[in-house]
Amino acid sequence: MNATLGRTIILASLLVSTAGAIIAFAAGRTRSREGLKWAQRFAYAFAFLMIAATAVMEYALLTHDFSVGYVAQVGSRTVPVWVTIVSLWSSLEGSILFWGLILGIYIGIATWFTRNDYHEYMPDAIGVWLASAAFFSFLIAGPANPFLSVANPPLDGPGPNPLLQNHYLMAIHPPFLYLGYVGMTIPFGMACAALIKGRLGHGFLKPLRESLMLPWIFLTISIMLGGWWAYEVLGWGGYWAWDPVENASLLPWLTGTAALHSMVVLERRGILKGWTITLIQATFLLVILGTFMTRSGVFNSVHSFTQSSIGPTILGFLAAALVFTIALLATRIDLLESEGRLEGGVTREGMFLFNNLLFVLLTFTVLIGTVFPLVVEAINGKQMSVGRPYFDRMVVPVGAALLFLIGIGPALPWGRATRAQIRRALLPPIGGAILVSGIGFALGVRNPWTLLTLAFGGYAAQVTLTEMWLPLVQRLKRGDSFGEALVDANLGRGRRRFASYVVHAAAIVVIVAIAVSSTMRSDVELQMTRGQATTVAGYTVTLLGVEERAEPHRMSTVAKFTVAKNGAQRAVLEPRMNQYMAMREPIGSPDVYTTAGGDLYLSLMNVDIARQSVGVHVINTPMVVWIWISVIMMGIGGLAALIPHRRTAVTNYTPVVEPATPRYVKPEEVTAS
Amino acid sequence: MVAAAMLAAALAFGQAAQVPDAAQFVGPPQGRPLAGEELKERTQYIGGLLRCPVCQGLSVSDSPAEMAVNMKKQVGELLARGYTEEQILQYFEHSYGQFVLLKPKFQGVNALVWLLPVIVLVLGAAVVFMKMRKLAQPSVAAAPAPPAPAEDPYVARVREMVGGGK
Repeated sequence: MNATLGRTIILASLLVSTAGAIIAFAAGRTRSREGLKWAQRFAYAFAFLMIAATAVMEYALLTHDFSVGYVAQVGSRTVPVWVTIVSLWSSLEGSILFWGLILGIYIGIATWFTRNDYHEYMPDAIGVWLASAAFFSFLIAGPANPFLSVANPPLDGPGPNPLLQNHYLMAIHPPFLYLGYVGMTIPFGMACAALIKGRLGHGFLKPLRESLMLPWIFLTISIMLGGWWAYEVLGWGGYWAWDPVENASLLPWLTGTAALHSMVVLERRGILKGWTITLIQATFLLVILGTFMTRSGVFNSVHSFTQSSIGPTILGFLAAALVFTIALLATRIDLLESEGRLEGGVTREGMFLFNNLLFVLLTFTVLIGTVFPLVVEAINGKQMSVGRPYFDRMVVPVGAALLFLIGIGPALPWGRATRAQIRRALLPPIGGAILVSGIGFALGVRNPWTLLTLAFGGYAAQVTLTEMWLPLVQRLKRGDSFGEALVDANLGRGRRRFASYVVHAAAIVVIVAIAVSSTMRSDVELQMTRGQATTVAGYTVTLLGVEERAEPHRMSTVAKFTVAKNGAQRAVLEPRMNQYMAMREPIGSPDVYTTAGGDLYLSLMNVDIARQSVGVHVINTPMVVWIWISVIMMGIGGLAALIPHRRTAVTNYTPVVEPATPRYVKPEEVTAS
Repeated sequence: MVAAAMLAAALAFGQAAQVPDAAQFVGPPQGRPLAGEELKERTQYIGGLLRCPVCQGLSVSDSPAEMAVNMKKQVGELLARGYTEEQILQYFEHSYGQFVLLKPKFQGVNALVWLLPVIVLVLGAAVVFMKMRKLAQPSVAAAPAPPAPAEDPYVARVREMVGGGK
């Protein structure tokens, strides 16, 4: 019943998206308003069908309807309800359906927000979205159909992959990643539309920027959540291993970040149109490449599920999208005319160009490092590896250079600047560099790369904080009340600017925290028996005992430790080994005592209950928690930039042409009112 | 799992680990024997260069797998005997193939993975500089833009709203 209903809905969505795409492209050619209306209706219909199909699947999962193929594959009566709900994305077929759901929601919302505007571009944009929707409907209907009927339904199923049951982050990380990945379809469609029309007007930049910013926020946070999950579950005490699947999520983030920056120059100067479009399109292509890498099984990982037949299909889609994009770029990029021009290299615009160069270099390096082993094996049949030491060697210098740019970029004025201005902008933050690296040195940092990162971070932090509060201070000096100035400078008109510095500030903390945590970690491997205590990094760790705990879906062996410092107990940690029915090997679950300064991380290596003895890996890593906090701050900063400020603000200001050195002029009538 | 305990013991007491064929493949030790804190650090570092053959891309240092722990123990033993980093990597490459090296050697096709990013950097920098030059020229067709009105996007939008402007 559910299976038949699901299959019907998916076939309808395949029909709707295909027809909708054709109508939309036709409307784009003929510039027919009526055609655009129909394309919009088809877009809403696709969104509705995807929501309906997912609802059917969730219903089948929750009612344990094992006559539905996917439920028989991942369902189980013994797992908790939250696991059943998130089972939707715990295996291949369901995860593609989930992709369809997110795509439907994105297309529906994007169509709604643009329904009355941008008539020139929207038909082609909707056409591209629905074409992508048609492909994923095809995947769901054919190679990855979750709604296949099971002739003899089993009484119970095996449950989802234990790794996914092991931690609640698994309920959060995939939706965020999908919201990031799938959302890149929207700016891609808009970028293609601009190319098809051969025009990118200033008015269209806003929806383009916003539709890129939203998935960028989700992608940013999901990359962090993936790292956090690895840290909390995998037990080796790190959060990033340069694993192909991690790289797959990083690649579109890099080009997306580059695009967000080049768009700032585009908005202010009217240059870099074609380049920005190219970056947005590359972002989408890298999303599809990432999907191929993680889902096809070419790389062995948690994400590849089973060896599946959808690999070649996705590869075909990637090839088609690539050819389409290159053909568009090759024939039309010249139509996008620059309206402005650039003034000199040592300007803020110049720094944006270097930013883009470095992000593209990073993208390329990570891409090469990830696919190189595949290419080599395909060519000469020899297996080789490109791993962390390679990426550390290649990426760390570029990361340091980017941190340097976060510092000097915003310090430099827009447009041509005199030498004196440049000196005045660039010299004072050296104080911040000396201060922060000095603090680091005093706290025991000796690694030259880490010290350099701290210096760049200090420099960038001083610039960022100055830029953040300068408008506020200027307004206060002019006699505004604090509240008025705060709202005005940082929450109202200046919010996008302020928000971008929030993101920068958070990025600085992330980079510093990564540098410190990866070079300052200390660890020890111990064999302990009950009652035994040991001192690690100033903490006294005592083993209280080992016990077994049974839950419906797993057995756990839990070791209980107390952590004390200076005689006072700080925490009770319970690292454990979880044994799931479906798995032979137990999964270790470390436990972490987190403080602002650093984490004490306990991971079990072996357990002997009879002797009450455990082998435990104790890792002390400074600053880890700041990575999670700051990445969330980056997301919040991005969101703040997205929220539209009130239209009424328009009447309050007369346009002010900003001179080379930023000055914050407040029109008189506002002070009067 | 026992191996973990043995590793701890081997590191602590200098007990010999099983690397009988080292001399046969990479010759006599060419460095000085290490001990104590230095031995631990170098073991961790070299373990980080070796791939755990049974894991998903984790290094020998990072992996809790039994095989990785064993390999790390061997690294420690070789370092304690005075083998150099180069010799140890060579030894493991001999046993497991180049697959085990997480940092590809600058050799043959593999050199490309090191060279390509550098080439992209050089080409990219050249493109950026050319682009800067080109963009700095006043555009031919358009009327010479007045020293770029560093215009707030907000202002531009207001202008677009009221329908005037450019």
